[in-house]
Formats: sequence, structure tokens, C-alpha cells
Amino acid sequence: MTLGQYVGRRLLQMIPVVFGVTVLVFFMIHLVPGDPARTVLGIQATPARVALVRHSWGLDKPLYVQYWKFMGRIAHGNLGDSLFYGVSAGHLVLERLPVTLWLIVLSTILAVAISVPLAAIAAVKADRPTDHVIRAVPLVGLGFPPFFLGIVLLLLFGLHFGRPFPVGGYGNGFFGHLRSMFLPALTVALVLTPILIRSLRASLLEVLESEYVTTARSKGLSEKRVLRKHALRNAVISMVSVLGVNIGFLVGGTLVIEQVFALPGIGQLMINSIFQRDFPVVQAVTLVFAIMVVLVYLFTDIAHALLDPRVRFD
Amino acid sequence: MKARRTLLVLALALVAAAGAAAALASSNGSSKQAATPQHGGSITIARQEDSQSFDKTNVFQNESIWLAEQIMEPLYTVTADGRSEKPWLATSYKLTNGGKTYTFTLRKGVKFSNGQPMTSADVKFSIDDARAQSKGWGYLDAAIKNITTPNPDTVVFNLKYKWAPFLADIALFANGIIPKNFAGQTRKAFYTHPIGTGPFMWDKRVVGQSVTFKKNPNYWQKGKPYLDSVTWTYVSDTNTRELQLRGNQIQVDEFPPFNSIQKLQNTQGVTMTLFPSTRTDYLEMNENYAPLADVHVRRAISYAIDRQGIIKSVLFGHGVAANSFLPPQVPYYYKNSGGLQFNIAQAKAELAKSKYPKGFKVEMQVGTQDEKSIGQIMQNELKPLGIDISFKQLDTATEFTNIQKLNYQLGFSYWTMDIADPDELVAFAIDPKGGGAHSFFTDYNNPKVIDLSHQAEKETVPAKRAALYAQIQKIAAQDAFMGFLFYSPFRYAYSSKLHGFFVYPLGNYHLEDAWLG
Repeated sequence: MTLGQYVGRRLLQMIPVVFGVTVLVFFMIHLVPGDPARTVLGIQATPARVALVRHSWGLDKPLYVQYWKFMGRIAHGNLGDSLFYGVSAGHLVLERLPVTLWLIVLSTILAVAISVPLAAIAAVKADRPTDHVIRAVPLVGLGFPPFFLGIVLLLLFGLHFGRPFPVGGYGNGFFGHLRSMFLPALTVALVLTPILIRSLRASLLEVLESEYVTTARSKGLSEKRVLRKHALRNAVISMVSVLGVNIGFLVGGTLVIEQVFALPGIGQLMINSIFQRDFPVVQAVTLVFAIMVVLVYLFTDIAHALLDPRVRFD
Repeated sequence: MKARRTLLVLALALVAAAGAAAALASSNGSSKQAATPQHGGSITIARQEDSQSFDKTNVFQNESIWLAEQIMEPLYTVTADGRSEKPWLATSYKLTNGGKTYTFTLRKGVKFSNGQPMTSADVKFSIDDARAQSKGWGYLDAAIKNITTPNPDTVVFNLKYKWAPFLADIALFANGIIPKNFAGQTRKAFYTHPIGTGPFMWDKRVVGQSVTFKKNPNYWQKGKPYLDSVTWTYVSDTNTRELQLRGNQIQVDEFPPFNSIQKLQNTQGVTMTLFPSTRTDYLEMNENYAPLADVHVRRAISYAIDRQGIIKSVLFGHGVAANSFLPPQVPYYYKNSGGLQFNIAQAKAELAKSKYPKGFKVEMQVGTQDEKSIGQIMQNELKPLGIDISFKQLDTATEFTNIQKLNYQLGFSYWTMDIADPDELVAFAIDPKGGGAHSFFTDYNNPKVIDLSHQAEKETVPAKRAALYAQIQKIAAQDAFMGFLFYSPFRYAYSSKLHGFFVYPLGNYHLEDAWLG
């Protein structure tokens, strides 16, 4: 099977998964107590006004009718209008998607940039003090809850040390985004790093003891060259799998980070929409999250296959 | 590998460059207050909620209303003490026809931000549109029979009956003036970027992120506003808002939590102000639950609420025990209304008189952590009386829905006034039919109080009206239909460079007076 055929097949497999998610989310969010009409009307939500608002939103119709309409809209690429903002839910999600993608991509880059050299050093200096320090210190990132870590980073680099980064927000333009996203991405990266270091270090140790590495060494290659040209490529395969799984979780885990750093991403939109019972937006965000998670796993598998020739697309 | 490494190096270099730029851009110097207002500069106000809509006639969210008021102004507006109204887009009014006809004279020279002059036709269109909104605030204009416009500077309101709160209702944001026929746009399109006579005009909005208004060059108060623009951002995390204020990234932090007030008061470059508000917090008691239908039980619970303890532990001392369902910042608030205060001996005596002298079990629904804390204080006080409170923890949307559907036993709620008149709250709180809210969702029904409230609505002699409202508050306090908990202030932390920033008891602010020193 070629790469194109493989991707095509996986994308087709995605359809029932995403469909299942929409069914589940639609009924779950409608069965949760709490009425969006009352949330929007506030304390002045008298029964008459609630009835009028519910009617205008079609919420007075039976659930199966609402679901049928929802699916009809999806078939036309329309995710409905936000009950809170009165604008297209799809537009709201698309407007915020870049923020969340920035966060995921930049945190992945930072996590890899921190983990790979540290894991390599730890593997080379296995069971020596340097190795112990590298394995122990990053655990701090895992030990602290991300919101706390985020606040500490904001305090240190947003208010002190020359204030190199803004205190929250998304910034304007590419460099503005980069500057604003650095601390949130670093917070996420610090949580990912210990997992990646441990995984890569273990793989490297295994690879460094394999026969082909011994052959490379016997050919007189320097330890640095052995590590960079021969060991890392093989060892990194397992890290890609670990990273893929964690990025999958990360897609849902951006919620807290976006709250702390005031990032207008889809995680923040999801939280608010749930509290406001903004059904169309919750459904739209969940749909996008589902697609993102499936795509991340697809890319992970492709990367795995490209790095390891033994893996076939079937 | 090479490409990846290059990317990484590039990213790190960019970050370093950004950091350097930030270091250069950051400035935190304090400045002395200038003697006179200065023009120029922009501010950012960070809030805990994003604005929902700018359709002033249909929106009930404060974070939307307070912004809409910067663009659309009413004929009369609320005074700084929140107790009466003063001329705004109208300069005066005459009352004739036995109190049933109001004739307003419009201010000359008022223009909308698009340059179009404001006339009586715009006023008629605006109020007619507002009162037609059955999903919105139209019910407050129910007394209006019709509006006529004898000339461009005069508007006549003919009422169906004498209506004492009329001027207060006319000052409601929903009755703000907009150009006739939505300036040629559809209703929906107009309210995505409304036009008005206010100090600021629409600039831009990123839904869920920020709203920016810029200075209206046609504003009728010459020389105002002082600021070039105002941006409202949505920052839900309280810690982040505080750090942004300290870093001068924002100039106003709306509603910092009570536990950070003292710290902010001692923070250099920050002014922390507690503005008197009309916010009143209540313990809701659903009379459909048999024990709570017994007035002695309700009185016992009201006596057992340690309000000072609650104020100390939840509001960190920044509040006042409530003694009426009306707050002190509302006209006709009666300070001797006799709202029951903490007294365990009296609580025991009241319970002994009830049908439940040995107590009963009751469920309290709580949403926020503050409500849980208040509930725990009450649980401790009521336990010795035999009243056993159990908690039902809910998210706020469910909590709110349950209260409004009367699907609860004990719960929490609060109110902030929308008009400078007690009528709106009185009708809502004590008239099961008038306010349409089952007497603030308690099903309290005392025909005497209801009758008094109807009399007060039509009584235009202030002294007589005051007497009626005093009576209403006294009876409501003795009936203890809700537990009146506390009055709390509006909390704003803002840059010490910002002057003229003042929050009215209704929660609105006139940013035309704000300036940066």
C-alpha cells in the first residue's frame, strides 16, 4: 500500500469516529441539566421570556428533531449559530483554531528541543550524577499542576527579569504570537519533557548496546558521530510514538493553559460554551478536537513508518 | 535533521529578539497626578466575562450593557449616587395630564457618531423599538401608550396610567437613542457595530477576545472624551488579570477577588477602589418545601445566619450585613426595615413556635466556592437547632436553572439594580405575578405587600411613596421570605495613572470623564 492509499484509508476510517463523537456529544450536552436560555437571560429569566427564547432557538422541539436538524446542517457544512454570541459556531472555532495550533506546535518543538539533547547526555552518561540530575530535575514539570507552573512562569518572566514576555494574550503578527505563545508553550513542554527524556534515554541505552553500534564504533567513528548518525534515528522512533500519544492528550489538555494565559483558543471556547450551555459551539469544538486527535495519531503513524523502514503501510 | 535544527535555531533567535523588544518596550515608571485632565492615550479593561451582544434592548449581561452605554445614551441618566436621574440627551421635561404625559425637550446640537443630528424621530424610533422587544427589556416600558413628535426637538410620551418609575425607566440603557431605522441597516447588522451619541464609537471586535471603541469626534460634551480609545479584553483567570495590571499590560482589572483586595491596596502604581454598589446577596428559601413555607422556620434560619462571620471569611471584611431586600444605594431604601440579624436565642425561639420545633433536613444547592463557604457557616449555626443542611454541589448553569424552576430547597442568588428606582426589584421579588419570577423564585405570596407595591408604582408624591416602600420592606423583613445576606461593593483595581474613573452604584461607568495622567 502506498502512502497516499494509506492516508486515504485512514481518513475514511475517521468518518465513523467523528460521527460517533457528534452523536455522543449532542445527546450528552442536551441531557446535562442547565438551560442556555436561562443562562443568557440571567436573573430576569421569567418563564414567558424563557419560552420565547427557547422557541427562537428551536430548543422547544423534541430532541430527535433537533438532532436531525443538526445533522442536516453538518451535511451542508454549517455547524449552527452560537446561542451566546449569535454568530456562526464554525466561524468562532475557525477563528480560534490557530491559537490552539500555535500552542500545540510550539510546545511540541520546545519539548523536543529540550528532551533530545538532555536524553542523549543522560544516555551517554548513564548512571552517573549528570544522568541522575537530568532524570530527576525535569520531574518538577510533572509534579506541579500546569496552571501553577504557568503562573510561576508569568510571574518570573512577565513581571521580572526584564519582562521579556507579555502576561497572557495572543499578541499581534507572527513575532507577536511567537512572543506571547512562548511561556504557555514552555509550560506545556515542561510537562511533556520528563516523559520524553525517560523514553528516549531508555531507547538510546538499548540502541547503544546493539551490534550495529558496536560495528560503528569498531570502524573508528567518534562517540558523537555514533550517537548522532546511528543511534538517535533508531532511538527516536519510540519517542515519536510517546510524543504522538501525549500530543493527542494535549489537544484536550490545552484548556487549562489557555485559561491561565488568557489565550483565545478553542480550549477556552470549549470551557465557556459548556458553562453557558452553548450547544452548537460545544458540538463544533468537540468535532474539531476529535478531528485533531485523529489527525495527530495519523501523522504519528506516518512519521513512525517514515523513520522505520520495517513498518509498512497496511 | 538539518532543516529541523535550522527551524529550532530560528525559533529561539526570534524568541530572544522578542524578549529584547519587550524589555525595551516595558516601562513601569510612576507619574504624578496632573492637575487638569489630559487628552490622549488608550486604556485596556480586563474582565472575567466576554461581552455577549450589543443589542441593548435584548441583552441582560452586565459585561455587554456597560459597554453599550459608552455608545448609546438615554434621555436622562442616573446620578452618581444612584438614587435619581439627571438630564442627558434631553435637557428637561414637563409633566401634564394628571401625571400621564411627559414632554421632553431634547438637547440641541447632539449628533450621532456618523455625523447625523439627533432628532425626536430618532427618539421615537429608539423607544418604540425597545418597548417592542418581548424577549428583552420591553416590559419596563409597558406603561407607555404612545410617543408623538410635535417638532424635531420635542418628544411626548403618553402613558396608559400614572407611572412613578417612568423617569428611571427612560434612563435605562435599553432606552438609549439610536438613529432612526437603524441608520439604514437591518436590526441585526446595526447591533454588530452600533451607532449612538455616546463618547465612544465602534472600532473593532474579536469575538471572545476583545472589543475596542474609539473616541467619538462628534460627542456633544465638548472636549470629551479624553481617551483616544478603550479596549475591553476577556481574561477569565483572576491571577492573570492581576499580573497584567501589575505589568501595565492592562489599566483596569474588573472585579479582582476579595482575597486580593488588601494586596492590591498596597501595590505601588495600582489604585484599588471599592465603589458602593446595589449588589445584594440572598439566601433563597423555596416555600414549596413544606418546612420553608412556615414563617417561623424562615425567621429562625434568618436569625441563625452569622452575617458578620460570612463577611469576614468570604468577603474578607469588605461588605455590610443586609437588613432589607433593597440595597442602601436604591431610592426609598428603609434603614429601619428590621431585617433579622444573627441571634441564636431568637432563632431557637422562632423554631420552637414553628411546626418543626425539633428541626428537619434540608438540602442546600451550592455552585461557587463562596456559596459553599457560606453554606458551611450556616450549617454549623443551624445544626444545634436540629436543622440538618446537606449540600448539593452543582455547576452554576444548573444551579441557576434549578432555582428558576423552583427545583431546590435552599439556594443562593443576588441582584444588582438596572434602574434608580425600587420598582423593578420590588415587583420581581415580592409579586409572584407582576415580576413573573415567582417572587424571586421563592413562591412567597403576601397579598398585603403586593397591594402596597402596586400603590407605590402609581404614587408620584415622594414622601407618600417612601412610606409605602418602608412598609413593604418592614413586612418583607418580618416574613423573612429570603435571607438577606450582605451588600458588597464593586471592586476595581486600576493603574494609578488613570484618573476620573468612577463606577456608579448600578455598575455602569462614564468613560468620557476618564483620562491618563
